[in-house]
Amino acid sequence: MKRVVITGLGPVSNIGIGAAAFESGLRGGHTGISAITSFDTAGFPRTMAGEVRAFEPEPILRRLDTATWGRSSLFAAAAARLAVRDAGLRVDRVPPHRVGVVVGTTSGESKVTEEMGRRIVDHGFPALPGELAEQLPAGRLAAAVSEELGVTGESVTLATACSASNYALGYAYDLVANGDADVMLTGGADSVCRWAHAGFVRLGAVADKACAPFDRDRSGMITAEGGAMLVLESAEHARARGATPYAEVLGYGLNCDARHMVAPDAASIAECMRLAHRNAGVRPDDVDYICAHGTGTAANDATEAAALEDAFDGRVPPVSSIKSMLGHTMGAASAFGVMATALAIARGFLPPTINWSNPDPAMARLDPIPNHARPARVRVAQNNGFAFGGNNAIVLLGAVS
Amino acid sequence: MADGDTRLAELRELVAEVLEVEPEELTDTGDFQEEYEADSLRAIEMLARIEKKYKIEIPQQELANMQNLKAVYAVTAGYAGWSES
Amino acid sequence: MSALQIIGWGVTSPAGTDDQALVGALDRPPAPVEVTGRYDAPLPTPRAHALLDFDVRAELGRKGTSFFDRRTALTVVTCRRALADAGLQVSDANRHRIGVVLGTTAGSVRSSVDYAVDTFTQDPPYMVNPALFPNTVMNCAAGQSAIWFNLTGVNATLAGGRVAFLSVLRWCANSFRSRQADYLLAGAVEEFTPHTAWLSRHGRDDELPAGEGGAVFVLRPPGGTHLRGPDAEVLAVTLGFCPRGRDRAEALAGCLRGALDRCGVGGDRVRMAAIGGADDAAARATAWRAVESALGHSRVRRIAVDGAMGDNPTAGGALELATVLAAHRQDPRLDGQLSVLVAQNREGAVGAAVVRGWGRGSARG
Repeated sequence: MKRVVITGLGPVSNIGIGAAAFESGLRGGHTGISAITSFDTAGFPRTMAGEVRAFEPEPILRRLDTATWGRSSLFAAAAARLAVRDAGLRVDRVPPHRVGVVVGTTSGESKVTEEMGRRIVDHGFPALPGELAEQLPAGRLAAAVSEELGVTGESVTLATACSASNYALGYAYDLVANGDADVMLTGGADSVCRWAHAGFVRLGAVADKACAPFDRDRSGMITAEGGAMLVLESAEHARARGATPYAEVLGYGLNCDARHMVAPDAASIAECMRLAHRNAGVRPDDVDYICAHGTGTAANDATEAAALEDAFDGRVPPVSSIKSMLGHTMGAASAFGVMATALAIARGFLPPTINWSNPDPAMARLDPIPNHARPARVRVAQNNGFAFGGNNAIVLLGAVS
Repeated sequence: MADGDTRLAELRELVAEVLEVEPEELTDTGDFQEEYEADSLRAIEMLARIEKKYKIEIPQQELANMQNLKAVYAVTAGYAGWSES
Repeated sequence: MSALQIIGWGVTSPAGTDDQALVGALDRPPAPVEVTGRYDAPLPTPRAHALLDFDVRAELGRKGTSFFDRRTALTVVTCRRALADAGLQVSDANRHRIGVVLGTTAGSVRSSVDYAVDTFTQDPPYMVNPALFPNTVMNCAAGQSAIWFNLTGVNATLAGGRVAFLSVLRWCANSFRSRQADYLLAGAVEEFTPHTAWLSRHGRDDELPAGEGGAVFVLRPPGGTHLRGPDAEVLAVTLGFCPRGRDRAEALAGCLRGALDRCGVGGDRVRMAAIGGADDAAARATAWRAVESALGHSRVRRIAVDGAMGDNPTAGGALELATVLAAHRQDPRLDGQLSVLVAQNREGAVGAAVVRGWGRGSARG
C-alpha cells in the first residue's frame, strides 16, 4: 500500500474561489450566504442561499466549451483546474491513463432538471430541447473534469447524496494506495436550484437568515452550491516532483443506516466513526479536530453530537461546522470539509462555527469553536459526511510525517 | 354533525393513506408513532395533504398536537374554522 | 485471481425473469407493448418495452411501498429475486457486511422533474410533496433497498449512464479488495416514464423504443465458497475515458485489452460479447469494431437485448450480463466459457469486463 497525500485544493466556493481565498474565508469566519438570485423566490418563505455569485468558468477553464455543459459540471471542471494549479502539477507530464477522476454529487445537473420542469409546464414533453437531454446525465460531472484535463484514467461520478464527496475521496484514496492511478482528482459539485430548495423548505429544514449549527436557537440549514476538487497522489509521486502536501489521507469508513431515508441514526453513525478509525489506524484520542457534517438542523446536530459522544467515549475534540459559513453545498460539502481539515493540519488553525450565540444544553460538553478561528496543532483530523439514504462516509486525515 | 362525520371520514382516509394502512385499521386515538410506525416525514406529508385539501395553513409546530386521528381532527377544525356543532 | 464472484442474480425485464425467457428472447424478441394513453403525458412512440403489469403492491405489499418511485420499486423487487437466487440469508451476524451498489443515469428523472414541475404549478411554489422528496436523490433506490432488507454495509450509487453498471462492478471489486464487504447486491435498474422515453429518443437514428427493468447480482470477493460454486467470476473490470477528438473505438478496444491483459486471457478464447446498447448506429458500430479489434477475431456470439427489452441506457449492460449467465444455465456446454462486456457513454467514459460463467450444478474446472 502506498501512502496517499493531498497536494492541491480547488475550491469554487461562496467564501472564496481558489485555495488562498478559501483559506482566508475560513480563517476570517466569512459568510457566503446571500439572497437567492438564481431563481425567482416569490412565494418562498425562505429566500437565502449560498450561491457562488462570483463564479465565472471562462477565465478558469482551458478546454471545455462552457455553453455545452451544465452548471454543476462547470463547477467540477473549474475546481479541478484550480486544484491542479494549486498542486503545481503539470498534468501533461503524467501519463494520461494514470490520472483518474471521481466526483461526488447529490443532484447532478439540478439546474437542467429545473429547466426541464419549466419547459414541460410551458410547452410539454415533445418540445423538450435536445441540449437538456444532452446535459442531464449526472456522469457528466466527472466527464467534465476528465475532458478539461484531457486525462484518460477512470472517470466516475458517485451519487451518494450529501456525503458523496467523502465517498469519492475514499475511492480515489484506494486507487492511489493500490497503485491503480498515480494522480486522482477527487471532490464534489452541486448547484442551488429551485426544486431542492422547495423540498428542504417544505420539510421545515431551512433557516430564515443564517445557519447556526450547535447553537441552542438554531433554525435549520441553508441550501448552497459550489465545486470542490482536490489533487490526491502517492507520497512518492509528490516527492518526486517536489510538491508540498497539505495532509495525508489515513483512511475512511462507509456504512448505511438502513433505517430511514431522511432521519440520521446516531448508533449507525458512531459505528461508521469506529470503522473509519479502525481503517485509518487511529484511536479516538489521536483525533485533534472534527469537521462536522453540521447542517444546523435539529435532527442532524442532536444525532451527530450523540454519535460523537458515543464514538469518542465522552472525550470529543473540538468540532466545527463550516456549513455555518458556506451553507450546505450538498455533494460538494464533504470535499469542502476535507479542504478545511487539510488546511487545519497544514496551517495550524481550527475553522470556526460562525453564527454561534448560545450553548445547546443538550450538547453542553461540545466545543464548537465559536465564531473565531483558533490556532492549534492538528496532527489527526476527522471529516464527517452523512446523507439521505443513510449513506455515512467518514474520512481521516493526518499531518504528513 | 353530519358535516363533522364526513370530515372525520375524509381525514381518516387521508391519514390512513399516508400511514399505509386501511382506513378501518386506523382508530380514533391510536398513536401514529407507537401504533402505526409514523415518522417525521410522514407527519409532514400528512400536514401537507391536509393543508392542500382544505386550503388552510397549519404551522409545523402543531404536529406535536396531532399524534392521533382525533387530535388531527381537532387541530384541523381549529385552523379551518369548522364549528363544533 | 479474479476481481469478484457472482453467486446469484435477479432480473426484472420486458422479456421475463427466468433464464429460459431471457435466452429465448435473444432469438424471439417480444414485441413492444401499446403504451399510448397509459401515461399522464404524451409519449414519443406508441409502443415501448414497458412493464405494464408490474405492481409493487402485489410484489411487496402496501406497507413501506406507497411512496416508492417506480425505479425504487423495480430495484427492491429485483434485489429480492437476486437474494433468493443466491440463497443468501441476511441475519444480524452478516447484515453489516452486506451492501447495495447501483448504477444510474440521473436517478428517477420523473421524481426530480416532477418536483421541479410542482414548484411552477403549486401556489405557493414550495407546496411540493414532502414524502416524495427522498425520491429526488439519486441514491434513493439503493437506500430504500438497504432499508427493505436491513443491509447496513457499504451502500453506493454510481452515475454513468451506459457505463454505470461497469463502474458498479469496478467499485465493488475495490470494496472487496479493501475488505469493506462480504456480499454486495450490485446492479442497475431503470424505470419507463414519459421522461425516460423522451430522453431515450434524443439523438437516436432508429425506431428503437425505450424499455425498463434491470438486473441485480449478488457478489462475493474472489476465492472462498458460498453454497455452491459461483455462477460466474468477473476476472477483470477496467474503466477509462476518451476525450473528444480521440479515436473512440481505439479507446474502447484499449480498455478491453487492458482487462484481458489483467487476467491473462487471450482474446481467441472469448465466446460471447455484449456492448450494453448504443445511442445510435455509429456508436453501435464503434463498439463492435472495438470488441473485434481487441479480441482479434469476429467469431463471438453477440448478446444484445435492446431488441427484446428496448433502449435501456442505464441497465442494458446489466441485463446483457444476466442474459449471458442465463445462457450458461441453459446450456452446460458453455461451462467455463469466457465473455466480455464493454460500455461507452456519450461523454467518453469507457469500460470493459471479462467474465467466466457456469451453469448451476456444473463442475468447475
